[in-house]
Amino acid sequence: MREQNQVKAHLEKYIVTYLFIALSVLFIVTSGMDINYVASQLLLRLNRNAFIVLALIIPIIAGMGINFAITIGAMAAQIGLLLTINWGVTGVAGILLAAAITLPLGAFFGFLIGKLLNKMKGQETIGSLILGYFANGAYQLLFLFIFGSIIPLNSNVTIVGASGVQNTLNLTGSVGLYTAIDGIAHIPFLLAMYIFCGALALASIIQFARKKITVKRMIGSLIVAAVIAGVFSVPQIAAYVNGAHGRELKLPLVTWLLILGLCLFNSTIMRTRLGQKFRAVGQNQTVANASGINVDRTRVIAIMISTVLAGWGQILFMQSEGIGTFQTYAAHEQVGLYAGAAILVGGASIDRATNLQALVGTFLFHSLFITAQSAASAMFGNSAVGEYFRAFLSYGVIAVALIMYAWRSAKQKKAGQMNLNEQRSAKS
Amino acid sequence: MSEKTREKPGIRSRIVPIVLILLAVALIGASIGGYALQGTQESIDNLDQMRSQAVLHAASEGLINNIAQQARADKLAELRKDKDFRKRGLDEVNAICDGAMNEARAEAEKLYANPVVQDEAALQSAISAFEKALAESSGLSQTERAAYAELYVQLVDNISDWKAVAGEGIQDANVISALGNVAPDLLKTENSHLHDGFVKLARDMAVKQQAKEDAEQQNQLLTVLATAIPDWNEYAGLEKDALWDKLIQEAPELAGGEKFQDALLKAASEHIAAAEKGETIAPPAESEAGADTVSETQADYKYFTPTEALNREETEKNAAYEELNAQLVAIIPDLGSLSSKLQNTLRENIEKVLWLENNSFSARYNTYVAHQATTDSAGAWKMNLASLAKPLLLAGVAVLLLGLVVLFWKPLTERFGVPRTIIALFFVYLCLLAELYNISVRMMMGNVLERMTMYGVLVLAMMPGIQCGIGLNMGMTIGCISGLLGIVLALQFNMVGFPALVFACVSGAVVSLPLGWAYSKLLNRMKGNEMTISTYVGFSFVSLMCIGWMMLPFNNPKIIWLLSGKGLRVTHSLLGSFAHLLDNFLAFKVFGIKVPTGGLLFLGLCCLGVWLFSRSRLGIAMTAAGSNPRFAEASGINVNKMRTVGTVLSTVIAAVGIVIYSQAFGYAQLYTAPRQLGFIASSAILIGGATVSKAKVSHVLIGVFLFEGVLVFGQQIANSVVAGGGLSEVMRIMISNGIILYALTQSGGGRRA
Repeated sequence: MREQNQVKAHLEKYIVTYLFIALSVLFIVTSGMDINYVASQLLLRLNRNAFIVLALIIPIIAGMGINFAITIGAMAAQIGLLLTINWGVTGVAGILLAAAITLPLGAFFGFLIGKLLNKMKGQETIGSLILGYFANGAYQLLFLFIFGSIIPLNSNVTIVGASGVQNTLNLTGSVGLYTAIDGIAHIPFLLAMYIFCGALALASIIQFARKKITVKRMIGSLIVAAVIAGVFSVPQIAAYVNGAHGRELKLPLVTWLLILGLCLFNSTIMRTRLGQKFRAVGQNQTVANASGINVDRTRVIAIMISTVLAGWGQILFMQSEGIGTFQTYAAHEQVGLYAGAAILVGGASIDRATNLQALVGTFLFHSLFITAQSAASAMFGNSAVGEYFRAFLSYGVIAVALIMYAWRSAKQKKAGQMNLNEQRSAKS
Repeated sequence: MSEKTREKPGIRSRIVPIVLILLAVALIGASIGGYALQGTQESIDNLDQMRSQAVLHAASEGLINNIAQQARADKLAELRKDKDFRKRGLDEVNAICDGAMNEARAEAEKLYANPVVQDEAALQSAISAFEKALAESSGLSQTERAAYAELYVQLVDNISDWKAVAGEGIQDANVISALGNVAPDLLKTENSHLHDGFVKLARDMAVKQQAKEDAEQQNQLLTVLATAIPDWNEYAGLEKDALWDKLIQEAPELAGGEKFQDALLKAASEHIAAAEKGETIAPPAESEAGADTVSETQADYKYFTPTEALNREETEKNAAYEELNAQLVAIIPDLGSLSSKLQNTLRENIEKVLWLENNSFSARYNTYVAHQATTDSAGAWKMNLASLAKPLLLAGVAVLLLGLVVLFWKPLTERFGVPRTIIALFFVYLCLLAELYNISVRMMMGNVLERMTMYGVLVLAMMPGIQCGIGLNMGMTIGCISGLLGIVLALQFNMVGFPALVFACVSGAVVSLPLGWAYSKLLNRMKGNEMTISTYVGFSFVSLMCIGWMMLPFNNPKIIWLLSGKGLRVTHSLLGSFAHLLDNFLAFKVFGIKVPTGGLLFLGLCCLGVWLFSRSRLGIAMTAAGSNPRFAEASGINVNKMRTVGTVLSTVIAAVGIVIYSQAFGYAQLYTAPRQLGFIASSAILIGGATVSKAKVSHVLIGVFLFEGVLVFGQQIANSVVAGGGLSEVMRIMISNGIILYALTQSGGGRRA
């Protein structure tokens, strides 16, 4: 009975995720796309997007919902990139410079966002969305009318004969920012998977030895590691990734070290005092306030961290393989939407999120994203439908996740009230 | 302002407004001085003197430029003859030529720049005569052209089937009467001189339409050809006529296409040739461009004919110019030797000096100064002050207003709210700026009025939502899409006129009823999170309907993609069905502004209806449920039911609103176009003074006026300040989202369920 309830609760919690898994499988099959191609595209999109999605976790834990204002972090990064291109700094140095500019800018913007969101508690999700739109106006003002006239820029980035920055900026060639991080080193995907499984197994044994986890969880982790390693050892499956059928899949090493580093950062910060504050504020602001935590300040810090991280994520995105151009006025627009949808697909909700959910969500969301167009044209005989289907998925998933969350909390509240009523009647 | 100063409003807290008001008084005083100076005889004489200087300068500069250009050209020709010409770089050649040009210019300037005037009075009177003739003919020409342009726009905007108006075999007189049905003013006697031009226009448009239809039909037949024939090899080697017969046998649709026989046979032979090589040719691609560009109609003066009176004025003007030219030649004899092309340029330059659209003191002064005219240094400050009278006055009024607003900040914001005060002040400033840039405030008020009727009902849709407690109903896009569905249905059945409009409204409303009901049920379970959820539900519904527009089984060729044969087009012109129908109903003109009576009446009726509803028993219960749900529940009101009523009402009004919007716009736009409408409507009602929990009809009307006013004025002014546009769009984004953000901060954090 209890077990059944647990399964039910689990299903309820992850219904969107399972739905997406089912849809992904369906789409991959109906689209008739080459598995090797899908896998390579998926990997590419994971490289690009994982960092930004991971940047959403801290505000969620601090109870501020999905921070759609990460678009503003992306804008900060784009200011950094523009200045880097303008000054002609190339390669890793250029990326580091852009990141260094993003840090104070993102932190400052994050501070302002946090201050504003503190004035609309409970409406942070919509507030951050509209704030993102508002900032887009300010961004256009800056890039169209202030850069190039009030703030002088080189002629290689401005529109000739008018003020403002060009519509697209090239990152390849002499600009030298294309794949500046991705291109440092690659390792084969298979090797990476084996290393990952080994590390997982090793970590679980060590954690067990240090009595941090139960024997059940250790065995579980070992089994997961063994299964993953086993699956990729099957020659027929390995053939899809080691290049026997088309391209060999490779991971950009430094990018993934950065992504893993961010995962580690997210989980370590939760063990610090600051992390405890995030958690406490996220669970109950009144209680947190009573226990001496400065709620507003904690929330501002959470948003500042998220904004800076999103900015760095945007830099990783821009330099990644297959992008190559910087769409000055559009690159940031969908950042919040896609990242928010991805993390919700992974099973996160408005008030809880983990690294794993973010990564799984990015994986699932983009697997649909890649296949939607071909699948739609296969199913409806119309490729334009696929384009609209993508947009529907992104918005729909957010809507469903928001609805599910509101539903659940309404239910809990009702249940809580009923309990209270029962207690009262029992007392009297 | 800290707490302390608020308690004691001493002199210190009033220093800023008092300084501002004093500054304003100084500015206005200076301006009055300037206006007074404008009227003195001294200034008038000075200005006339400057005018002669400017005219002389325009004449001599033309001559100097001519000499300099000639010198440059001569030098270039000389260089070309040289053997080494090709060895020199482009930069070097340019440098040499420019050097020669500058030398010649300097010499010419010595000769002509300071012409000596013998007979000042004669020159003055010649200039005056020409200026007068120029003003008369230009003024007349402008009024005539404006009348022509208005008729032109009226015709082009309201006629969709030109073939029916001016197809082959239709008599000129019939064409005119058909045009007169659309634009009654054309039939007035004062416009009879334009008839021939407009008949020509109608004939040209009919020819253009025929060509377009032919191209579409040909494309369609080519597609049929490419898809209907399974195996082209069977057709190889056939003669022209035999091939045609066999094609018609296989694809009977082609039978109607004798007109395009040549093109079709050519395509067929290409297909055959490809089939012999074992290839296939894909059917032609869908062309989206052309049919779907939405832009304001601009008059084409190709068909303009001047009246007799205008022709007379023109002759008089030419005579006056001859007089002036004679005077000028007397002063600078070399002017007489200019080529006729240069003579024309010279005349244009002089006309530019003498004919100013806005003939005010300062405009004249500035033009003359731009042409190097000067006054003696003693009187210069007077002239300067006089020319600055208007900007000084406007600046004075602006500063005065600012001072007053700062002085009465507290009572004003308590009465009207912060955003309304700021936006209203901003609007007044925009009006002042428009005056400064000589943009016609009257014309723009006309635009604002038009856009009020366009957006009014949509903004009204926000009101029941706010009243019933769901806050800003971002999901009103659901209603908008229902309304668009109604419009598309009306187009599908080829309906026209008022029946089409009514049908679109009613069917849109009917579709929106169940949708709004379901949507309200959803929102009832999400209390406290309505705005977030309604935004995303709205977005999702828009994207879902994007798929819907593609898949729904509409089949009227006028509204679907022609070649693929399925899926609705993005933009549907409502010309010929019900474009501008309400706006033109009983429309009249006052001070040159077109008053869209029908649209205003309808908006008024809708507002009245909503106002009456909110006064009814049900409406009062609904407002109570929205403003204090607990209290309402306790007094026996079913809160959920009331929320449903409000949400459904909001959705239905939105459905009607989008129909009205589309008729005023002239186009219905599907797919992602309605996505942002919820934001636009929200910001408008918030600017009008509503909050996320309180709204009145007055908020709707004030809000839509201020919002559209700021946008219309802002756009015009931004365009004249910064070339290239874009600034007004930035302003729209920031105002519209900023106001929603402000409302969110005011709603406080306590709304979480």
